[in-house]
Amino acid sequence: MRQPGRYSRLMMCGGIMGRSGPHSLPLARIKKIMKNSGEDVKMISGEAPIVFSKACELFIEELTRRSWMTTQQGKRRTLHKEDIESAVVGTDIFDFLVSLVSDSCKSEDIITPVGIETLDES
Amino acid sequence: MDRSINMVDQEQDGMLPIANVGRIMKQILPPRAKISKEAKQTMQECATEFLSFVTGEASDKCHKENRKTVNGDDICWALSALGFDNYAQAAMRYLHKYREAERDKAAANNNQNTANIASHGDLQVREQTQTSNLEFRVLEKGDNSLITKP
Repeated sequence: MRQPGRYSRLMMCGGIMGRSGPHSLPLARIKKIMKNSGEDVKMISGEAPIVFSKACELFIEELTRRSWMTTQQGKRRTLHKEDIESAVVGTDIFDFLVSLVSDSCKSEDIITPVGIETLDES
Repeated sequence: MDRSINMVDQEQDGMLPIANVGRIMKQILPPRAKISKEAKQTMQECATEFLSFVTGEASDKCHKENRKTVNGDDICWALSALGFDNYAQAAMRYLHKYREAERDKAAANNNQNTANIASHGDLQVREQTQTSNLEFRVLEKGDNSLITKP
């Protein structure tokens, strides 16, 4: 017999386009972001946003957990932006976020001179 | 579409909803923990960037393999390639469970339909064969009668 908890969770959604489904993130929005990520992204299968809803959830959980560790070290109870920044800097796989979190203003700073020390000094 | 949407709304529209992001964060933290609004916004941006980053990798692979559609397996592959192995495994399990559930749903619907048809279907086929046999005999008779005309 299938385990009711897991099965019924999946069946709670009104299909792939269900808004308040078992997926913790809206699939339509995920699909939109995927399409916006590049010109090459033309067609997306129905399952891709579903896979992402899980992966994104795990990502947020991990980053939150790591950030909270910094919060605790500072003997605080409120998780701040700086805690997230610490977690990003301290985790290799989150390298792609370094420029994003160290931006103090979000406007036109697309290219952040992160590796400026590596430029030729001659 | 209403073009007078202000910039903030447009920005929000291109990111994961902050309410959902905040909820996931809250669930992972101890009950009395607090999250600043700025932290939620930062997490929202990070998660959105994560999506774009992984999609880009998956899309590149599809492009190289001359495939037009980015599918679930591509996402899992990209997750592994970028160092998110554990997410890839969990996401694969989630995807398989989802596919199973969809198959079960479809199978349940099909079984319902075929059960209704099966009882009638066999009968119809049998009747048809008998009718055509009869017709064949009638035609033969007709033809024979022409030959035997005096």
